[in-house]
Amino acid sequence: MRLIARLDIKGENLIKGVKFDGLKVIGRKKKIAQCYYREGIDELIYVDAVASLYSRPPNFELVRRISKNSFRPLTVCGGIKNVDDAKAVFNNGGDKIAINTAAVENPGLVTDLVKEFGAQAVTISIEAKKIGPDNWEVYSHGGREPTGKRVIDWIKTLDTLGAGEILLTSIDNDGTFSGFDSDLCISASKVSDLPLVIGGGGGSIDDILKMTQLCRLSGIAIASAFHYKHFSIADVRNAFACINSS
Amino acid sequence: METIKSNFPVVFCTKCVLSNQKPITLIESRHQKNSIKDTVKFTQGVCDACKWNEEKNLINWKQRDEELKALCDEHRRIDGGYDVIVPASGGKDSRYVAHLLKFKYNMNPLTVTWRPHIPTEVGIRNLSSMIDSGFDNQLISPNGDIQKKLTRLAFENLGHPFQPFILGQRVVGPKAALATGAKLVFYGENVAEYGNRIEENYTPTMNSKLYTSFNFLSPKNKFSDFFLAGVNLEELVDNKTLRAQDLAIYASPDIEQIEENFIEVHYMSYYKKWVPQDNYYYAVQHTGFEPNPSRRDGSYGKYAGIDDMIEDLHYFMQLVKFGMGRATWDACQEIRTEKITREEGASLVRKYDTEAPKTYIFEILNYLQMTETEFWAVIDSYREGHLWDWEKEKGWFLKNQVR
Repeated sequence: MRLIARLDIKGENLIKGVKFDGLKVIGRKKKIAQCYYREGIDELIYVDAVASLYSRPPNFELVRRISKNSFRPLTVCGGIKNVDDAKAVFNNGGDKIAINTAAVENPGLVTDLVKEFGAQAVTISIEAKKIGPDNWEVYSHGGREPTGKRVIDWIKTLDTLGAGEILLTSIDNDGTFSGFDSDLCISASKVSDLPLVIGGGGGSIDDILKMTQLCRLSGIAIASAFHYKHFSIADVRNAFACINSS
Repeated sequence: METIKSNFPVVFCTKCVLSNQKPITLIESRHQKNSIKDTVKFTQGVCDACKWNEEKNLINWKQRDEELKALCDEHRRIDGGYDVIVPASGGKDSRYVAHLLKFKYNMNPLTVTWRPHIPTEVGIRNLSSMIDSGFDNQLISPNGDIQKKLTRLAFENLGHPFQPFILGQRVVGPKAALATGAKLVFYGENVAEYGNRIEENYTPTMNSKLYTSFNFLSPKNKFSDFFLAGVNLEELVDNKTLRAQDLAIYASPDIEQIEENFIEVHYMSYYKKWVPQDNYYYAVQHTGFEPNPSRRDGSYGKYAGIDDMIEDLHYFMQLVKFGMGRATWDACQEIRTEKITREEGASLVRKYDTEAPKTYIFEILNYLQMTETEFWAVIDSYREGHLWDWEKEKGWFLKNQVR
């Protein structure tokens, strides 16, 4: 299981919200990315949280600068609208891309990207809003626009489109430290064999351990809990080491 | 039709995205058709709200906290009675104020809610979750039939459908204080935070005229001295639209009643640095507040002004009359509190500000009992020539948008 630090970025700053709103500046992005890298994070996801909102492309120059100083896989998310944008991300040192809004608006893009770059390089980010018992809706534009798609159906579609991986984030739990939406993760892991990374709500080591026991996960993404230092990357490693040795 | 003292040309604040068309809030019960409002002051290109924002950084907030403690010490009751009234919609700000007073300052608040016109689902859930997070609450519901009529009249006569609601909301606090024996009422922020006269921010208390000026039931007053929804009260009652007793719930107390009972109405924004986004974080963390599932029509944000469907029309009318819609209001405060840059704010305004109500349009039309044609005829009658232009291809468009 990979431990992933999610960095929501706006300009030079690391930002974070609660339930995908109330975005606030937490610090300088570069410093924090290096810090997570030194502490031994498995992967970084760099999300331009407002690219779709401001209708702007990813900041390729920034991707280049981050990837130069980081020797861990880097996934770039936010504002990628076509194969050319994706190409520019890879040319600037990104290892993977993740898309949400563009995939929802044009599902065919998923197939095009996979054909061009391989499934291993294409992650689909899903922002999931709970709308009923065992029912979640896909949101786009940084958790602001409902799409009318059911998350579970969308995952099935993505499976047939050939996506490489799903990054599934609960809008309701995002930034609340209240634990992951376990029902969402279990439901998602049941309908597809796509590698699944979950995020949204991770507030303690126990939350992470619980999820790894509940469902088959490829990775866990943590943002606020790392940024606000609720626990460190080393704490997670130690907890897993304890379990493995016992 | 209500107009503002026209400012030519339209100018936008160089720090936020407010324009010089923003009116200054008046006493609502004086508000008549054709009344002319003053507009926000600009000094060397900077609006009063931004000027005030800079002054706020010089305030000794620790000392203000001491003042708040002293005020609470003075009013705290040990006999079990309510000692403070918090008018509360269940939104992020009122729950922040109520929670702070109860759990940090050890007060015994009663929250009082003036019912929204058409409550949204998230608004209903939020009112419940506020109560469940530890508060007594009184829901004051004006006769819906009357409120519908008044709202429609206010929309037609003033282009201000929210006016009757605002009047009601302003008096629920002081009236609940008179009813319960509490001497202290706490509202959230002073509207001067957003560009009324700066001096209004210097005092902790609300201008008593705001909650005592609509005292038409007082024996010393005549109905004909008052206006509601742009109509003289005597005329309103004469027309058989409604009866005098239908309006009692909107009546404000007399200033004498307030003074005899030593009731004080304070703003929390005097005591605590007012940052709406921080209130949102506080409300989620401590009281289970839920933002709107999606952004609301006309803006990008999810956490403010989400409990009433008529709110979408309210903001849209601000756009029609003053060229500033909901995204402008959201962006202005987020720029001032340094959550977004002016450039980002301007792009959000250009993207969302002119979006007309669509999510709740059927509910709004049904509430106003209007056809879509009647509805748009009213709206178009408020489009000022110096703000709007019309072309066959584009329809109505703003002549000036913030850059």
